[in-house]
Amino acid sequence: MDLTREEEAILNGEQGEGRQKAMELVTALGKIYGADSLIDITSAHLSGASYKTIGDGGLKYLEDLVGGGATVSVPSTLNPVGMDRNRWKEMHISEHFAKKQNRIIDLYGQMGIKTTCTCTPYVGPNVPSMGDHVAWSESSALSFVNSYIGARTNREGGPGALAAAILGKTANYGLHLDEKRKPTVVIDANIDGSVFSYSLLGQAVGMAIGSGVPYFRNIHPEVEEAKALCAAMAASGSIALYHVEGVTPEAGNFDVSDLEVIHIGKKELDNAYDKLNMVDDVQLISIGCPHLTEKEMHQIAAFLKGKEKRNKDIEIWFCTSAEIRERCAEDVKIMEKFGPVLADTCMVVAPIEGTFERTGSNSAKAGNYLPTLCSQKAMCRDIAALMELVL
Amino acid sequence: MIFQGRCISSGKATGEVIKLEEPLSFLGGVEGSTGDLKVRDGNVAGKILVFPKGKGSTVGSYVMYDLMVHGKEPKAVINEAAETIVATGAVISSIPMIDQIPSVRIFEDGDIVTVDATAGTVEIKDLVYKEVVSSVVSRDAKCILEKRKATSRSFPGLWSLVAGKIEEGETPVEAARREILEETSVKVGEPLGSMDPLYVREGNVLFKVYPFHFDAGDQEVSLNDENERYVWASLDDAKKLETLTDTILVMSTFL
Repeated sequence: MDLTREEEAILNGEQGEGRQKAMELVTALGKIYGADSLIDITSAHLSGASYKTIGDGGLKYLEDLVGGGATVSVPSTLNPVGMDRNRWKEMHISEHFAKKQNRIIDLYGQMGIKTTCTCTPYVGPNVPSMGDHVAWSESSALSFVNSYIGARTNREGGPGALAAAILGKTANYGLHLDEKRKPTVVIDANIDGSVFSYSLLGQAVGMAIGSGVPYFRNIHPEVEEAKALCAAMAASGSIALYHVEGVTPEAGNFDVSDLEVIHIGKKELDNAYDKLNMVDDVQLISIGCPHLTEKEMHQIAAFLKGKEKRNKDIEIWFCTSAEIRERCAEDVKIMEKFGPVLADTCMVVAPIEGTFERTGSNSAKAGNYLPTLCSQKAMCRDIAALMELVL
Repeated sequence: MIFQGRCISSGKATGEVIKLEEPLSFLGGVEGSTGDLKVRDGNVAGKILVFPKGKGSTVGSYVMYDLMVHGKEPKAVINEAAETIVATGAVISSIPMIDQIPSVRIFEDGDIVTVDATAGTVEIKDLVYKEVVSSVVSRDAKCILEKRKATSRSFPGLWSLVAGKIEEGETPVEAARREILEETSVKVGEPLGSMDPLYVREGNVLFKVYPFHFDAGDQEVSLNDENERYVWASLDDAKKLETLTDTILVMSTFL
């Protein structure tokens, strides 16, 4: 890899051990993936924030980084953590967990990372522009900025994205290159256009192609629909970029006439639905994976207004960012009659496995991860169908 | 014997090999506080850990860091193909690591090796290295399998393809033709196929094996005294015999 004189100096430790380790990591990863050089990034978004997922090893790593004086050099945001910072007791979280989790948030903060702990930073605190090179982890968010905004990032891991944030640089390979952003397959989609149908579409496409760059026809996603599509395809497959004809900013750049066309319709959506539904009854319903947007908060509140939660055995969580919760105070009042509106967290990264065994959500992403990361039997239905269980 | 790989995480270490045949997920595969392996007997602490590649959760990087915090990390890591999780774990934990070695098969548990990760090399102490050929000599969908003598120096009593050492000055194809002629009296022409070399260990001997495929035509087979007897074996026949390492793999590639 070609390094500039300054980059070499960092690698040789001339700017301290923290930056040296960061450079070692970014160059090692670049080498594995055949990068020719490093490129400047304009922002980073970091996963690896929940104590449940990173454990004591991750916590010690962050302690050592902060001890070594590491700070980020580009605007950086943090993924959801294992609990709502203030309302963790309502989530059945232990004192021990809360203490460790708060320490992790504190350490990220000390490195200059904005600890708005959300998986949808692109609707608020961290919005890249078209063509920006960025280093994002969190598979759904990085797919959104790649696809819907036209910024450029690979599927970074937590430590890799943090190293890139410290340096303000990442390795130039993969989706940073024009060549790798070309569509690999055309998806001719036939869906009803609801947010939930986008979730199932994403699940079906991930199951059908696994990886690659799909080019969609016949769909018209807005932010909420795109968010569901990103999350589902990144969980059922490893898709980090897609294009939508007439919608996403790069879609017009490509000639797709020679590509294979895959049709996704009722049969494929039914298969996707079956894959995500293991049970007919649940103990927890959690909505907001990825985090609820303002529009979704309004819609849910409008749906619940005047209704009553009759089934007291099922808990409901709504997950969003602290900023959106604050902006939607009227909605929150209505929603809180059904369950807590939680910030900073979600059911996937919270340690729910000690409390619940069966969890429902409207998210294909959660449907993929609840069984593996949370030992749950999962249900996946649209919000109205989930609410039927308690009304 | 020194093998050239590629530096992933710099540093140098000498130690004893512990090897896994399968891809490893550090999360669930290794206990972070003790170094105990959960996928086989053994412990990685202070060892040179050899496995094909990483897999599984990205949290595996932090399990490697946890090992380091507890003083239970491997002295070095050797992979065939590095991926993000293990490379990240090695770099953040300052564990020397190389990849792009020919195969994990060149190592055995207990080998004493020196990894110079900065230079990308690994040296295996007291290793004897031999280059050999191994040929599928076929007629219809069957090939010659020879039963090695019980007194044979290497792989006694096993069923083998037509194999032998490459002599000095010989190309692999020339060696293959000569061995076939010597051992079976069959004269073969140009190979119908070849494969990338395979590696087989027997004790402190490492064999680099060049596989070939030749047509026997309708020539008569007559063994010399190196082997006990032979059969014409289909792939299914061979699966019922006690065959030398990779015989089935090579036959299924060519037949």
